[in-house]
Amino acid sequence: MNRQELKTIIQAEKNREFSQTGKQKICVCCGAGCLSSGAEEVMKKLQEEIKARGIEHEVEVIPTGCMGPCNQGPLLKCLPGYNMYQKVDCSNIEKIVQSQLVEKKPLEDLLLFADLREKPFLDAREDPYFKKQLKIALKDCGTLNPERIEDYLAHDGYVALDKALFELSPEEVIAEVKHSRIRGRGGAGYPTGLKWESVYKYVNDQKYVICNGDEGDPGAFMDRSVLEGNPHRVLEGMCIAGYAIGASKGFAYIRGEYPLAIKRFEQAIKQAKKMGLLGSHILGSSFSFDIEVRIGAGAFVCGEETALIASIEGKRGTPKPRPPFPAESGLWGKPTLINNVETFAAIAPIIRNGGEWYSEIGTPKSAGTKVFALAGKINNAGLIEVPMGTTLREIVFDIGGGIQHGEEFKAAQTGGPSGGCIPAAHLDVKMDYESLVSLGSIMGSGGLIIMDKSSDMVDVARFFMEFCMDESCGKCVPCRVGTRMLHDLLQKICDNKATRIDLDRLEELAVYVKEASLCGLGGSAPNPLLSTLRHFREEYESRMLTHDLSE
Amino acid sequence: MNTIPITIDDKKIEADPGKSILEVCRENDIEILTMCHLKGILDIGACRLCLVEIEGMNKLLSACTTKVAANMIIRTNTDRIRKYQRITTELFFAERNHVCAVCVANGQCELQDLGYKVGLDHIRYPHLFPQCEVDTSHPWYVLDHNRCIMCSRCVRVCNEVEGAHNWDIKNRGHQVRIISDFDTPWGESVTCTSCGKCLHACPTGAIWPKAIVQGQLQKNPGMICELMEKRKMRL
Repeated sequence: MNRQELKTIIQAEKNREFSQTGKQKICVCCGAGCLSSGAEEVMKKLQEEIKARGIEHEVEVIPTGCMGPCNQGPLLKCLPGYNMYQKVDCSNIEKIVQSQLVEKKPLEDLLLFADLREKPFLDAREDPYFKKQLKIALKDCGTLNPERIEDYLAHDGYVALDKALFELSPEEVIAEVKHSRIRGRGGAGYPTGLKWESVYKYVNDQKYVICNGDEGDPGAFMDRSVLEGNPHRVLEGMCIAGYAIGASKGFAYIRGEYPLAIKRFEQAIKQAKKMGLLGSHILGSSFSFDIEVRIGAGAFVCGEETALIASIEGKRGTPKPRPPFPAESGLWGKPTLINNVETFAAIAPIIRNGGEWYSEIGTPKSAGTKVFALAGKINNAGLIEVPMGTTLREIVFDIGGGIQHGEEFKAAQTGGPSGGCIPAAHLDVKMDYESLVSLGSIMGSGGLIIMDKSSDMVDVARFFMEFCMDESCGKCVPCRVGTRMLHDLLQKICDNKATRIDLDRLEELAVYVKEASLCGLGGSAPNPLLSTLRHFREEYESRMLTHDLSE
Repeated sequence: MNTIPITIDDKKIEADPGKSILEVCRENDIEILTMCHLKGILDIGACRLCLVEIEGMNKLLSACTTKVAANMIIRTNTDRIRKYQRITTELFFAERNHVCAVCVANGQCELQDLGYKVGLDHIRYPHLFPQCEVDTSHPWYVLDHNRCIMCSRCVRVCNEVEGAHNWDIKNRGHQVRIISDFDTPWGESVTCTSCGKCLHACPTGAIWPKAIVQGQLQKNPGMICELMEKRKMRL
């Protein structure tokens, strides 16, 4: 396919949209969360019901990716009015079809957040849950059918790739990404543009692009939702990266626990190849790029870039010391660009709208938006995307709808097993890379676990240490033995058997593991422990044995 | 060849570019403790004993895997480094069942030597005492997991020098174990050539020949490097 054909298809698809045809559209959330609460049956029943009433030519039913409020699923979204329904099951489909589609009157008591708000908003976009959010990476997630490339094309899909290939040079693409000030969304927050530039500068006839989709933090599901809800966006981002750095081959490393994400991404690759948007001479240009999927086998450490590279090479997934960095010597010793799923998902809008547009969102040091997976004791658990610099209070209370059963907020855990806890005193912290680090936590990949008074912080630290202990690859001593020792000490404190000497030893060992470990897993494993010690020290102290054990 | 100036522990040194910090230190009689390093095979930076401080770097880097660069200022014996070397040594001893008094390698053991070097008089962490197997299935050699410190020198020697790749690693975290072939008894291995290089590479008493008693063990880890040098001369 060439440029002109692409433009024709995009126009034809845009004409098919409801705004042009007047046709109603019902989006059924088919993200993993809604699927597990029965979205598939809901969709089947919905189609049957519509057919039974003979209105199938007026209504289109499509499966979509994640819409956000996962614990209210299965969710329905009716366009053009943006009426959203929550906790839909087969028994109330009939009522919804009758009222929403036939009488064209939204059914108020089944609308989203009907149980939380005094009066739910007819247009869900008016609800503070959506109003406080700004969706860039997740923009079309929940509106388009991830299994149809045509749907993506109708939402400005592959326009950015077209622009990059025909209007920009690789240097200009990199300049645009640098200008956007986007930073790696995988956790460490390294400026993406600088990373692209350094890979670009290494001269080699073979370079690689890797998409890191080995999301393993407990409670995090951002990458899964992006891959399931809009796989073409990630694919397009990878293609643009390949063009910018001069790579001809990409690998998407997706964890094996995400079968739906793997299926949809592989499907996306097939569709893009068929349309000439992937493969040799993309859109008739001189640029060729191919992507292969690699499936992770369930090791958390394979999210670490050097371990991930070893895993793709078919070796045991253990990290290597850096330098050399993958930009210089990565996959099979070649210069390799490795970015997170969410980073790639933001590339197409940046190229389409320009880096300037993106850099104006967020805070001076952290531009753009960040996707968080809200979980724990919160009313609206699910997936949100907010501009950087949104306060934790806004996320928990305005978007998250507050703590379950009206309990008191105690702490928020960010960054999973590599992050830390933010206590209630710091609820007004701005969510950006620097502010979180200054509190002893990290942005991480975006897991956000909300805890109430019933959470025992020593046990939280013990839980994450147990996770790191099990997931340590066992290569270096500080991580292999150190995490085990730290875990045993934390268990001792939980069992009320520890003394002050144990606490001193715990602190010394935690700093040692942090500084001496080979890779980021060990280097950040003590973070939950150190941050709970910093903010909730009294919980540790109150469990110390003060009397002499021999008595 | 052009040399580059670096500073190690306030000593100005002209170093060959391309060499690791460890190599340069050893050439200049600056002591760096190591355990997973063995001359002749690739370095992996796993034991973390050779960590050094480099000015301008916020992380400690392993001397064996970091190449020297012009004007690098390196410190090898700060209080922090010495403290970490001691903790690492303690963790080695606490991890498995190292009982020198009943070990064939007593007096011939790099771990024991390391203990003396860091002045280890007691271990502050509880011994884990894992249940480890002893594989005696090979006709000539024994693999005792109780004494293994997972330096993976045997794995690398077997793979890189002998080319047999009999050894590999299974499991994760503190449950990692050296395996022969696909986790079969060593005696049943189809890849092992019984060359004995792993025995010489092993720093402790984890791999040893049968038919010797305590005190008789003779290990020659230097033979790996000699062998590699001779191979280079033949080319």
